[in-house]
Amino acid sequence: MPGCDFRFDETFEALIFDWDGTVVPDRQADATAQRARVESCCKAGLNLFVVSGTNMENIDRQLRARPAGPGRLFLCCNRGSEIFEVSVDGPVLRNRRTASSEENRALDRAAELVVGHLGAVGLETKLISDRLNRRKIDLIPITGWADPKKADIASLTDAVRSRLASVGIGDLAEVVSIANEAARTAGLVNPKITSDVKHVEIGLTDKSDSARFAAAWLADRGITGALVLIGGDEFGSPGGVAGSDSLMMVGELARATVVSVGEEPGGVRDPVVHVGGGPEHFAALLDEQLARRTARRTPRIDADPAWVVPLPTGRTKERVAEALGTLGNGFVATRATREEGGPGASPLLFVNGAYTDDGHLLPGPNWTGLDLHEKDSAQRTIDLRTGTLARFGREGSGLRSLRFISVTHPYAMAMRAEGPAVSFEPGDPLRGPASRDVEFESDDRDGGRVGRTRGPGREIALATRDRIGIADSYRMVERLAGWSTTGAEKDARPDAVQRLEAADAMGFDALLAAHRQGWAERWKDAEVIIEGDPASQLAARFAVFQLLSAAPESQESAVGARGLTGEAYAGHVFWDADVFVLPALTALRPAAALAMLEYRIRRLPAARRAAKSLGWRGARFPWESAGDGSDVTPRSVRGRGGEVIPITTGPHEEHIVADVAWAAAHYAAWTGDQGFLAGAGRDLVIETARFWASRIRTDAEGHGHLDGVEGPDEYHEVVDDNAFTNVMARWNLKEGAMLLLGADPSSREARGWLSLAARLVDGWSASRGLYEQFRGYFELEPLLMSEVASPPTAVDILLGAEQVAGSQLIKQVDVLMLHHLVPDEVPAGSLGPCLAFYEPRTAHGSSLSPAISASLLARSGQPERALELFRMAAHLDLDDLTGTTAGGLHLATMGGVWQALAFGFLGISPDRSKGERAALAVDPCLPDSWTSLGLSFRMYGHRVRVRADHDKVDISCEVPLLVRVGDAAPAACGPPGASFRLVPGSTRRRR
Amino acid sequence: MSVIMAALDTTPVAPVVLETAIEFGRLTGNDVIALHVRSRASDDIGIVEALAARSGIPLRVVEGRARSALCDVLGAPEVLAAVIGARATVTGRRPVGRTARHVLEQIDKPVLVVPPDVVSPVTFRRLLVPLEGDEESSRQVLEQLGILLTAEVEIIVLHVFTHGTLPAMLDRPVRDLEIWGNEFLSRHYPPAATIELRQGAVARRVAEVSGEHGADLVVLSWSRNTSAGRAAVVQGVLGASAVAVLLFPVKRLSE
Repeated sequence: MPGCDFRFDETFEALIFDWDGTVVPDRQADATAQRARVESCCKAGLNLFVVSGTNMENIDRQLRARPAGPGRLFLCCNRGSEIFEVSVDGPVLRNRRTASSEENRALDRAAELVVGHLGAVGLETKLISDRLNRRKIDLIPITGWADPKKADIASLTDAVRSRLASVGIGDLAEVVSIANEAARTAGLVNPKITSDVKHVEIGLTDKSDSARFAAAWLADRGITGALVLIGGDEFGSPGGVAGSDSLMMVGELARATVVSVGEEPGGVRDPVVHVGGGPEHFAALLDEQLARRTARRTPRIDADPAWVVPLPTGRTKERVAEALGTLGNGFVATRATREEGGPGASPLLFVNGAYTDDGHLLPGPNWTGLDLHEKDSAQRTIDLRTGTLARFGREGSGLRSLRFISVTHPYAMAMRAEGPAVSFEPGDPLRGPASRDVEFESDDRDGGRVGRTRGPGREIALATRDRIGIADSYRMVERLAGWSTTGAEKDARPDAVQRLEAADAMGFDALLAAHRQGWAERWKDAEVIIEGDPASQLAARFAVFQLLSAAPESQESAVGARGLTGEAYAGHVFWDADVFVLPALTALRPAAALAMLEYRIRRLPAARRAAKSLGWRGARFPWESAGDGSDVTPRSVRGRGGEVIPITTGPHEEHIVADVAWAAAHYAAWTGDQGFLAGAGRDLVIETARFWASRIRTDAEGHGHLDGVEGPDEYHEVVDDNAFTNVMARWNLKEGAMLLLGADPSSREARGWLSLAARLVDGWSASRGLYEQFRGYFELEPLLMSEVASPPTAVDILLGAEQVAGSQLIKQVDVLMLHHLVPDEVPAGSLGPCLAFYEPRTAHGSSLSPAISASLLARSGQPERALELFRMAAHLDLDDLTGTTAGGLHLATMGGVWQALAFGFLGISPDRSKGERAALAVDPCLPDSWTSLGLSFRMYGHRVRVRADHDKVDISCEVPLLVRVGDAAPAACGPPGASFRLVPGSTRRRR
Repeated sequence: MSVIMAALDTTPVAPVVLETAIEFGRLTGNDVIALHVRSRASDDIGIVEALAARSGIPLRVVEGRARSALCDVLGAPEVLAAVIGARATVTGRRPVGRTARHVLEQIDKPVLVVPPDVVSPVTFRRLLVPLEGDEESSRQVLEQLGILLTAEVEIIVLHVFTHGTLPAMLDRPVRDLEIWGNEFLSRHYPPAATIELRQGAVARRVAEVSGEHGADLVVLSWSRNTSAGRAAVVQGVLGASAVAVLLFPVKRLSE
């Protein structure tokens, strides 16, 4: 900044600033230059908020800016009471606080009380009443101080202080105190008392209201805290009263950079940076921001500790960091490999559903590589709020970068990087993926670099374009990329080039702005607030972030066990998708859940063929599924000694069939979209029921059995009558029958299914009050985990698979999954006994286990134990608890984390008891350390927010809801919402 | 110039110690010198002289007390590594004698211990590297071995699960162990292509895997602290291994 030795080495996205004394020296000054600056800043994408006590006309007459965007200009006038947006057509009122007649009377009364009080001690003042929502009292209505300049603030302060002292008033703060008392006496509930030294003002609003408007508007666009600069000239406390500009420092803008260009005779306090220099320095500040944007400097992130996840550093954690920092938009994702790669780096780009013919996700070209000349271990952070990955090299020496995968323009990806020119070069923008077996080629075309990877029957192409700038030995690289994928015999490159052109036409800044806004909108339906436990809150937000990044919202969505975050399991789709991920996305992003169901719907033909090939009817979904829906579960693997180790899940873990049907029914119940089960989703339920009807063996007594199955507890591989499988099959038969009977009340097939369901054994032992996990389980060695090791432990490794199979130790919740998924199918009151029996036997040796256990423990009234398991699940990948996070994130665990919050601790569910369409049950059970838990989600097609503490539940909703809290009778709620008090002992402890 | 120093005595193990040292010299690209300590000038060293002469290896003879003399010579800067023999006894194989143990504890450089029953001809083509999974010792082994080796060899990493490294969860055990193992290699020994994962007593597993893979050299890190837990593992491996064991001294934060 010319004449100023202070530089803001950051690019801001919004500036909120005072007018008089900050942008212009006074209201009569020529603002031609400022007009040009303001319009240029808006053109460069900066959002500007002019905050002033005066009215719009006064500012607009002086500024006369008519910006064309894309940055927006707001005039926040009349000390927080009016907001105008200015475009090429001039100012348009956006918001006005209108005082009621009662408030106006109170303002008059308060002002009169102050004038009277001061007059009584001999101080002559002047009342100014023609201001919107406020009354001004001139404390020095004498010639010479009629219209003091801002630069004369020190002299003015002395003059006012002297004048007050002459009547026995200590300082300006005492006058403010008098005004405050008068305002409350007059009946004003939340009076805003301000002073510019010459005046004391009593109002309904002040600059904090302007700042809050700006903060809210910006937050809706993903612009928060550190992305904002607040400028003014009165942040200190002249005359003992906080300067009016300090009111702009509202909590919503914490971490904003605050700069004063004023005289500040009393100095300023942190975090205000006192630059001084008046409007000249503020103009330089604007110019600097403009120059940074023109030079394509790397944008920053708001490092809000509640929203950013620092990626682990160090050689041994590099691949874990790559997985944790994966960015995706559901369609495509890129791991957070460092730009320079390095030993062990695993740069991978995956496209949802882009499987090769041999059932593996094909990795695409790597588009984030740069050539660094020196090793750089800079900290990197993923910003969950905006879906960006930032690298913080030291200023002047290290590489800084920011990248994102657009959620609003799904075929666009972008990155900016900057650093000393001697330290790095762009290098080849497209490089081969980490996988060695993938064919990769690239060449220059259409003013960029185009490359593709190819595998059997699949191709992924990327087109990139770099823009490189050098200034003052500093290199800036901007890289845009478009991607495309095709099946066999088609060239994906032309589409990739076309999509690059579309991204390029929009430009990096506009793409980033839209992307930030896209994430802000996503979070509105996916808020997680855990007061009292910031670590759990951040971990839960991370889980939600990755869930939202995992599935597209259109077409079909194959959500593999590790999503698009790593190579593990080759992208195969397991029940993880249907039972763990889908319920979360149904609430957070219903369109994404629907796309997941569409994946299953389109693979019904393959599932029918699979059933037929085994001699069954209906549809048999495979345990592992990829592109064509055939079973891609490995049948065996070679041990390290060359021995063949059979994998039993493919032939035997058939509960997946009912799990798929359950997902469809859950989606319909949660969204209220019953048409789904009558239409596209119908066969998911009918055909699976048909499978079970043929698969069940009936014994001589007429009882139904499922032989040779494998439940979720894979320590016991092939068993008969696994309770989970049988009860899920029973539920599936009944659900299918209901659908058939809905269309044809005389359906014989449906009645057969109902009869069979009633005769299917389920392992329930009424005498013990427990389910037997499978036939013969109770006869096994009654080992407890407390005798072996602390959970979570892979006891199959510790003790050997054979000993574990002969014991009652189980890998994960099995019987208890019934209480989680189909609570209406299990005997009332059975959750507690089953938890008491099975939890001590559970090794939690599966990543699927802790979160669901946490949910069930919370539901059974054990929130402290639930919290232990919740934290284990929430940090499973963040702490690399399994040692396999490098291979990709455990998406099912993340789905489980959200479910534990929603279904467990908050106890929410569609209330089926009344058969009402829009009914919500809430039954919170919070650990002591959580002050409150709040979630937002979509239900019945609308946004719902639920916040519970230990005494009450607050619900806000967009449409009327029938709400049942605990055991209370259902009650009408909102919109906008209602508060419900929790009566001790009234919460339900569900079955 | 660096040399490999082969400590020879007059016992029957001396020939295989020298042969092992020569092979180790080839593996590391260094010359080998035979070293013999005699307590008196009148001692007959004909056997040792003949052995060295037959192999074309220069012999250096020093006089004095064996322990201190060995440490003096082996501690010299030009000595890159030492090769010493373990002896057989009537009560079974005895890993290292008192003198050899003293050398192991005192010399801050790699020491190759040759068991008495090593089969001649000695060749080093496949190395078994058991790693504990702590970052610091793995890094030191990786760096030291990387500097030491000049010839192409196959490296097999072995990790025996401990309470600290036993996976908490294995969703699909066989496949997760593969992911786990690959990640272990990536973190601790990227140049290796193969990893073996085992559960149980470390020394026994080292011997088992060494036999299964036909390893001809076991590489172990240790802190030269005989009171630490790792020393028991080292003693166990030395006692059970049928092939030579290269001990790498490392600085260990946990000991």
